Amino acid sequence: MDDDTEAFVLLLLADSSLPTGSFVASAGLESYVAHGFASSAPPLHSATNFIRDSLASYARSALPFVHDAHRVVASLGSRNGTVHDSDIAQAIEHLRTLDDLYESMTLNHVARRASKTQGVALLTLYSKGFSKPSLSQFTTAQDSTQEEKHAAAMLKLVDRYKLAIRREETQGHLPTCWAVLTAALGLSLERSRFLHLFLHARSLLSASVRLNTLGPYAAQQLLLHAVRPLVQAEANNCKALRTGCIDPSPNDFNFDDTVHGPAVTWPLGEILAARHDLQHSRIFNS
Amino acid sequence: MASTAITVGKIDAGVGRIVLRLHGSSAVFSELSSTYPLKLLSPRIEQDGVAVVYNMSYGGGLVGGDRIQLSVDIGSGASLVVLTQASRGSTKVFKTRPGARASTRNASEITEQRMTVSVADGGAIFLLPDPVTCFRAASYNQLQAFHLARGASAVLLDWVTAGRKSLGEEWSFARYYSLNEVVVEGKRVARDVMCLEEQGENAGPLERRTLCERLAPYSCYATVILWGPLVDGVVTDLEAAYRDITVFRRNAPPSLLWSLSPLVESSSSRQGRIVRVAGKETEQVKHWLADALRALEEVIGTDVYRKAFV
Repeated sequence: MDDDTEAFVLLLLADSSLPTGSFVASAGLESYVAHGFASSAPPLHSATNFIRDSLASYARSALPFVHDAHRVVASLGSRNGTVHDSDIAQAIEHLRTLDDLYESMTLNHVARRASKTQGVALLTLYSKGFSKPSLSQFTTAQDSTQEEKHAAAMLKLVDRYKLAIRREETQGHLPTCWAVLTAALGLSLERSRFLHLFLHARSLLSASVRLNTLGPYAAQQLLLHAVRPLVQAEANNCKALRTGCIDPSPNDFNFDDTVHGPAVTWPLGEILAARHDLQHSRIFNS
Repeated sequence: MASTAITVGKIDAGVGRIVLRLHGSSAVFSELSSTYPLKLLSPRIEQDGVAVVYNMSYGGGLVGGDRIQLSVDIGSGASLVVLTQASRGSTKVFKTRPGARASTRNASEITEQRMTVSVADGGAIFLLPDPVTCFRAASYNQLQAFHLARGASAVLLDWVTAGRKSLGEEWSFARYYSLNEVVVEGKRVARDVMCLEEQGENAGPLERRTLCERLAPYSCYATVILWGPLVDGVVTDLEAAYRDITVFRRNAPPSLLWSLSPLVESSSSRQGRIVRVAGKETEQVKHWLADALRALEEVIGTDVYRKAFV
């Protein structure tokens, strides 16, 4: 993918009006505020603290899944462009393995719920929003190009994966679905990981604004000056992380769970997120 | 698991094995062995079908480089309660063994405890240790895997404290890594992985955020995993207590906070539970746990239960 195309795809994905369902998720922030954790520091500080702790834990637990799922989808058809049905079936099987592991590692029902809702929304976005419209002016030559064949294969993959989720054969968690979407669009792994963390942080800032704990200008200030170095740092920290549940490629390193595996790093965040539904009144779903 | 003949003079350090079987109405150890620095002790108890093992380490703690590997096999209908008995209520992880010169041991090395447990139908494991206290700069890995048959039960408590408050230690260890995996009939139902360690570098212009700041204002975190028919009573109690909570907006964090989530959820059922607790004081968390798990008294007996939360 050339730079211009990649930049355009980034613009699309970073659009805050993209229907991904993230606007109803606060990833535990609403509960954090309700439990009085934001009261001890000035608003800018407490918002930054929450973003740091939440982002660090999310990066450590979700990026390995983004990495592995992206690799599964990006390697489809990379040999000679042709994607066979058996390749798609194999890829779905890997995604299922990743979803299963993520499900058993996400031990908090509120986070699981939010992850599945947003995951499916991303797949729907791909099949309904990013596939080529069936209008006459979009169909060019009779012979479909390599690129079109690839797009058709990706659409098939996403549709089959969605079907598997509807049949409850797999869960369709956010990190897996995000990787499927970005890999299907041809976004590089590095961009995909960075953007995923950026969107996590940005949705926390939007949630702060909706909760009225931060003003809209302060949120922009943090987005420019705090979120960038934080996302960069976490993306770097988690570079070598893998899930360890699908076969490593031959040149991959020796996998050690305690060093390279996903982990929760903020137990307080887990407790607060799980207590979301206990709030007397709430505006978010997580 | 394949067992190999032990050659004289080549006994691995820190290795232990427990095999428990039900004979008539009593739980009997077919094997109970351990090598330094691991030490296993079993007190005589009265409860039918229940046995207790104390997992002890020499000198009251573990040091950098210590590797403990314990395998546990629990037969059909037998219940094993695993406790620790450490001085002043927690398993200590030292960087170096007290009294030993730092240079004589691999002080920079990680301390590691691994445990593999298999439980047959109707059997149960109750892992109710003291919390782990990692001293300043200590690194600790704990990896525990539980393979349960259908109808087996498990109560797995895993908790960690901020350090020695008297010495001003507050989350000042280098690393605490804990992995608990529960597999039921070959299917993984939970893989709880927690890693507490200092972040390496600064993030751009922002000051480094310490582990202590991240975990404040609490100085003890506990996780309890519950599975199987023998935990029904505990789950009923916890569900009722959790349902009664309503969070109104407050201005300061509570001194103790807990959450409850199912391990496996489908549209039709919820199986197993995970409880997480955070408390400003370790004693508070201990009292909360002793109260929350009280229904286990009917399963393992009051006397045994009391040994767990002394």
